Amino acid sequence: MAVSTLRPVALKKEGEDRLIIEWNDGHRSEYLWTHLRVQCPCAGCREEREQPPDPFRILKPGELVPLKPVSISPIGHYAYKIVWSDGHDSGLFTLEHLRRICQCPQCSKQ
Amino acid sequence: MPPPEAHQPQQKIAMPGVKSVVAVASGKGGVGKSTVATNLALALHMLGRRVGLLDADIYGPSIPIMMGVKETFDANTTPFPLTRHGLKLMSMGFLVKPETAMIWRGPMVHKYLTAFLAQIDWGVLDYLVIDLPPGTGDAQLTLTQTAPLSGAVIVTTPQEVSLIDARKGLEMFNQVRVPVLGIIENMSFFVGADGKRYEPFGRGGGIKLAKEAGVPFLGEIPIDPRVAECGDGGDPIVHKYPDTDVAKTYLNLANVVIQQVVRMTDATEELPTLQL
Repeated sequence: MAVSTLRPVALKKEGEDRLIIEWNDGHRSEYLWTHLRVQCPCAGCREEREQPPDPFRILKPGELVPLKPVSISPIGHYAYKIVWSDGHDSGLFTLEHLRRICQCPQCSKQ
Repeated sequence: MPPPEAHQPQQKIAMPGVKSVVAVASGKGGVGKSTVATNLALALHMLGRRVGLLDADIYGPSIPIMMGVKETFDANTTPFPLTRHGLKLMSMGFLVKPETAMIWRGPMVHKYLTAFLAQIDWGVLDYLVIDLPPGTGDAQLTLTQTAPLSGAVIVTTPQEVSLIDARKGLEMFNQVRVPVLGIIENMSFFVGADGKRYEPFGRGGGIKLAKEAGVPFLGEIPIDPRVAECGDGGDPIVHKYPDTDVAKTYLNLANVVIQQVVRMTDATEELPTLQL
């Protein structure tokens, strides 16, 4: 039950579409912003993901333009909060979750 | 203290004058957490440190009675924190009468706790000790998300029913990556008039839990009727009877906490930020 020692050492924005996280074990994670939004761990987004797709769903105005993060801020010692351009801000991305959803070529293969 | 201002949820509170923030927690109520927090804070002060004590138990504050503060104060005109026995103090019990029930939902608890941290001039402190309420709820989440916690001390009693809840407390701190400085077992034993050691609540629970969790075992605090007498009288045992075994245990505990906080510095380094 010891506290995990895996932690980011740097966060960078690469181009307009992705986030890079460098970890203290030398790993370099990549995430498209769209992927992070799809993987939002908040209760609302999780519930939505678990529903069967609705073919008649009406798009919300915010979904018509590409979503972008407005801010990323650390929460305590364990997570980041992303505020999105449509105002969504309830997902806390724990460090474990971020590492799990890494999209770098090596992790994508696994 | 002016009325609490609204803070952005989870906004980190900067406490530039406070070197280390140590939470005293337990899963279960009634294990003597406030007694441990108060005596640990006083022991740190007796070792020459500048210490504050924040009572985060909004629903059932115990620090006022244990530190001998019997009156309530006007929040608009009183310059908090108060000072007693050399400690800087803040508690909900300074604002409401003891018989008043605080029937609040989580957001109000969050609002007052963040105000106690951010709007009170704690000045320069080596340690701010936070007496957490029992459980793994709103107060714990607010503090782990917004306060610059250096670590937590878990208090348990020897019996299994207390250990079950202490494990939940450990798991919570693990999930929010607050280092556990160690486990302290309260009410471990007493020495009878015949000189024998008696263990009315069982044996070895604290050390077993510490081994299981891979965290240091900080020690056993003996049962002594003077602990309750001193707490109810507003003059904690470490201060009133510094030569007792209980007081010596707390002074040892304070020394270990000082060492552990230094060891854990890397784990509580701020996460990197990104400006978009």
